[in-house]
Amino acid sequence: MDNQFDSNQQSDQSFTSQPPKFWLSLEQWRGDPEFQKLAEQEFLSSPLKEGDDDSGWARREFLKLMGASLALTSFGCVRRPAQKIIPYVNRPEEIVPGLPNYYASSFVDGNIPYGIVVTTREGRPIKIEGNPSHPGNGQGLSARALAHVLAVYDPDRATQPQKKLFNEKKTNSETVSYSWEKMDKEIAEQLKKGNAALLTSSVLSPSLRAMIASFCQAYGIEHVIWDGMSVSANLAGQEKSYGKAEVPGYRFDRARVIVSVEGDFLGTYIHPTEFQKQFASGRKLDGEMNKLVVFESLLSLTGANADTRFRIRPSQKLTVVMGLAHELIVKKGMSRFASDGAVKAILEPYANAAKDLGVSATDWNDVVAALAGAKGKSLIVSGGISSMSSEALALQVAVNFLNSALDNEGSTIVSRGSYNGMKGSDASLIELTQKIHEGRIKSLVIWGVNPVYSAPDALRFSEALKKAEMVVYTGDRSDETGAFAGYLAPEGHSVENWGDLEATEGVFSIQQPTLRPLHNTRSFLDSMMAWMKVGGKAVSAENSYEYVRNFWKQNLFPKQREAGLSYLSFEDFWVYVLQNGVLDTAGNERNAIGGGRSFNSSALQLVKDAKISNAADLELVLYPTVGLMDGSLANVSWLQEFPDPVTKICWDNYLVISPLMAEKMKLREGQVAKVKASGNEIELPVHIQPGVAEGVVGLAIGFGRTGAGKVANGVGKRVLQLAKVEGNQFVFAGLPAEVTVTSNRIPLANTQGHHSMEGRQIIVEATLEQYKKRADANIHRHKMFSIWDEHKYTGHKWGMTVDLNLCNGCSACVIACQSENNIPTVGKKYVLQGREMHWIRIDRYYAGSPEAPDSLHQPVLCMHCDNAPCETVCPVIATMHSEEGTNDMIYNRCVGTRYCANNCPYKVRRFNWFDYTDMRAPLHMALNPEVTVRARGVMEKCTFCKHKIVAGKEKAKQEARPVKDGDIKTACQQACPTHAIVFGDLNDPQSEVAKLFKTQRAYDLLEELNNKPAVRYMSKVRNAKAIKSERGGHGTPGKDGHGASAEGGHHS
Amino acid sequence: MAKKVFGAIFGIAVLGGIYLFFHLLTNNKITIGYNKGYAPDQPIPYSHQLHAGQYKIDCKFCHVGAEVSRHASVPSLNICMNCHQNISTVGKPALVQLQKAYFDNKPVEWAKVHLLPDHVKFNHAAHVRKGKQCQECHGAIETMPVVSQHSSLSMGWCINCHRQPENNASVSCGTCHY
Repeated sequence: MDNQFDSNQQSDQSFTSQPPKFWLSLEQWRGDPEFQKLAEQEFLSSPLKEGDDDSGWARREFLKLMGASLALTSFGCVRRPAQKIIPYVNRPEEIVPGLPNYYASSFVDGNIPYGIVVTTREGRPIKIEGNPSHPGNGQGLSARALAHVLAVYDPDRATQPQKKLFNEKKTNSETVSYSWEKMDKEIAEQLKKGNAALLTSSVLSPSLRAMIASFCQAYGIEHVIWDGMSVSANLAGQEKSYGKAEVPGYRFDRARVIVSVEGDFLGTYIHPTEFQKQFASGRKLDGEMNKLVVFESLLSLTGANADTRFRIRPSQKLTVVMGLAHELIVKKGMSRFASDGAVKAILEPYANAAKDLGVSATDWNDVVAALAGAKGKSLIVSGGISSMSSEALALQVAVNFLNSALDNEGSTIVSRGSYNGMKGSDASLIELTQKIHEGRIKSLVIWGVNPVYSAPDALRFSEALKKAEMVVYTGDRSDETGAFAGYLAPEGHSVENWGDLEATEGVFSIQQPTLRPLHNTRSFLDSMMAWMKVGGKAVSAENSYEYVRNFWKQNLFPKQREAGLSYLSFEDFWVYVLQNGVLDTAGNERNAIGGGRSFNSSALQLVKDAKISNAADLELVLYPTVGLMDGSLANVSWLQEFPDPVTKICWDNYLVISPLMAEKMKLREGQVAKVKASGNEIELPVHIQPGVAEGVVGLAIGFGRTGAGKVANGVGKRVLQLAKVEGNQFVFAGLPAEVTVTSNRIPLANTQGHHSMEGRQIIVEATLEQYKKRADANIHRHKMFSIWDEHKYTGHKWGMTVDLNLCNGCSACVIACQSENNIPTVGKKYVLQGREMHWIRIDRYYAGSPEAPDSLHQPVLCMHCDNAPCETVCPVIATMHSEEGTNDMIYNRCVGTRYCANNCPYKVRRFNWFDYTDMRAPLHMALNPEVTVRARGVMEKCTFCKHKIVAGKEKAKQEARPVKDGDIKTACQQACPTHAIVFGDLNDPQSEVAKLFKTQRAYDLLEELNNKPAVRYMSKVRNAKAIKSERGGHGTPGKDGHGASAEGGHHS
Repeated sequence: MAKKVFGAIFGIAVLGGIYLFFHLLTNNKITIGYNKGYAPDQPIPYSHQLHAGQYKIDCKFCHVGAEVSRHASVPSLNICMNCHQNISTVGKPALVQLQKAYFDNKPVEWAKVHLLPDHVKFNHAAHVRKGKQCQECHGAIETMPVVSQHSSLSMGWCINCHRQPENNASVSCGTCHY
């Protein structure tokens, strides 16, 4: 695969010889002296150089600071802090101070549905978890869904209704607080005049859908749906191919061969969390392991998990799909289309696809053979922002065609269980904008979308808003679109409102409020009801609660039998719904096989007519990131400091470019480049990204907010001025671009490269063949003897396994841990100094050449070693081994020598350089009271969720029973969509973790140090002919005593 | 000369400061150490002597969290009103105050007596389940018209009990610090 492209063949010459097999960054691969210096230095920054190179001054400053804090503490001891206890007047029955409450609820992230459980403490929601009984996401969640709890306490949220007073030209405005009553009256008056439209994101709530229908009917309003995270092309393609515009259900768990053509289904496309779960279930080694083949231009999270990955240019997507179709239908004569002359004629131009793509015949034939051998058990997927080039619709049709030809319809793609709520259409937003410009729409109500920010500038949506007579914006703040709206009718957070959700067809869940609205806000459902009431229209309920309840009574209660329920009264049914959260009326149907739709082959005409602009030397691809997606939730600091699962950079977006091109253009990491496309230009720092196709550059959307709030505003640059509007579609990919170099530099906060582990057996991978021969393939074991007395564990002995074969690097665990353990964010300045505080990090390694490497992900947290190197060096015994095997950190004893961090070979200890937790109200309400908030000058690290262990044991004792396996789940384990992390009692031989600990695939990280970690990794298995770490160019496995994964003599 | 005067004034000031410090200390205006005996005034002069001593109301009738939660919890006003809605307020200004607070929906701000630092986790339920009597830590609360802190609540005091073999309690740091 190294040499699949002609242009790549000179690959290795430009780099020094003897590169490491696994590498973190290009600097390390090259053996760059700068990386060497950093690695040797081990810690990125010295406290004595805080913000200044003159160490003499800084040292004094440091001592002064320390002196001041000493004085403060001693003063604090003298005075008794007088505190108040303020009990409830009427304690709510369900609240016992000190005990958490859990509420089943729902959350929609743009158009991605989640069944969630909200943990509240004394009425404050502090943590979001997945609802295990939800058939979609299950107990797993995405990083975004986990992080959105912090948005409840966002200080930048709108606190009351506002009216903007515009001048004649609608240029400047004065904002005044307004009352709901006055606002409702004025809005209703204007709506009565007609010519109104309602623009919303996908409406996944069935009761809200019903309300919108009656609202639109009452005022004669046109309803337009559009989403920032667009599935527009997919919908249009479905309509052309099968007659109905509906995103079908995908079953990655049934697929043996998955081919993604620029479809980032593990990262950002349709429902990544559900797809990760499905994909992982096909990745288990006890059955037949699936194979993921990815064709893409940039390196996405899906590409990083590929067994086989090909780099293509955005203009080559159609060639890939149609090329495969030609091989399978024309050459192999598969499917009914093989005898269809018209179809064959359309396929004919793609006869030499492999050659056109620059893919070697062997590699190409492997993919074809794999697909041919998995008839009805394969899945071709393409879509999402990064796939939306001008021929996006043709591409979708081609993908549907190939899936139908391979009999995947009804098997891996099912029309039952479709994402029937996803209806966002670019065409209808374009049409709406046109209508406003033409004056056919005069009033506009907007909910759930922010098109001024997240639609291409070429749409001229903000100008349209200026022309409208009235714009009502319902959002949680006056953001970019809100700035053009005369009325801001603020909607609270979803944990403050009643609602419901239909995740996929027939899977209903309830959204119940867990907090009284913090501010003077109301839900969109309530707002619409108010506007109808004030306008003299009939409304069937008094408030949103009643409305939702009535909706369930009339529409879903009669369906209870399909969900296997038989409640006699609605009251009982309602209690069940509130407790369980989910009503799955489509369980049996969804899991049935068969009933595939019939492909309408006349749609292939679109493919024939597709005009592909491949004239450009340089093609630009805009893509969403896993953390920020379309830029909503950008003001949640956790998501800004969330290291991108692929690039590991946070707090910025950047121009992604391949190493070869960067060298050709003399671009260095962080150097600012000028990107010109669609007549606009922006300047952004460069990130040299291994695995990016030549002739392609990428830019992340979701950054450069101006109306999000204090955290997000000004972070990165907005890039949508580079996107285009072509006919009735947006074009985000394959844009002809020019890149010029400037002399400026913006350092990028890359978390990878900090905490390097100095080239030892860190990550182990094997091919499926190797694994079948030997389950412990490529694991180098050491014969160890101990000079320590072993610890004796008479009770529990907590341990964890992390299955690298299931981990896809989505990093949900990072945010789950942050939310659970009160972990602060530190900001870009301090991430640059290596001071990020995450207790769990996902290391991303590359293997092979920088042009087309394999990627590997490895979550690293405190290993809770039996022979912990940190424990022996602490002069004040602030880190102690417990009798249950955990390595405890005693914050109040810690004096901050940081010896432990020095001595930790896994680099998992974090030091509080400042009082990071000194946060703006009301953000402190998101803190978990079970976990101590650490002060400045204190070391901290993963505790194995000690508070959850204590709570689990306490609960078992309270119920007078022993602790069961699965009682105690760490936050990371709970959030993991793929069940890659397993935690439990190693002393219980029946526990899942104890069994996994003994499997052959399990290995200790840095076993040769005899630390005896309580965390074991299970090697990654790649369903490919060879792994690139074996072809790294030096040494045979085990030659240097460190096994296949050693980084080699790089540091000698 | 000026120097001497200045020195004298400075000396007197220092001595005065020291005197003031000990004066305040001995009069319990400021305390160092573990606050043993700390008995702040409460906004409503509630008497444990009357309720728990004379009327023999069980502690857990009001402190509802003691058996199930980390916090024993100070009772919410509705618990007070269980009885006090039927008790005459005539000539009892404190009870008027209580009822007013309840009907005005204004919570009472009690002064916290037993204060553990944030980095210590103490669980009432675990100790009550083991059969510990409230009085073992809180002293003869049923005799106190004004609650005062009976034990030092220092770490040594905790450990003393945890060390006793019959208690079968853990003394590992992580038991209370996490």
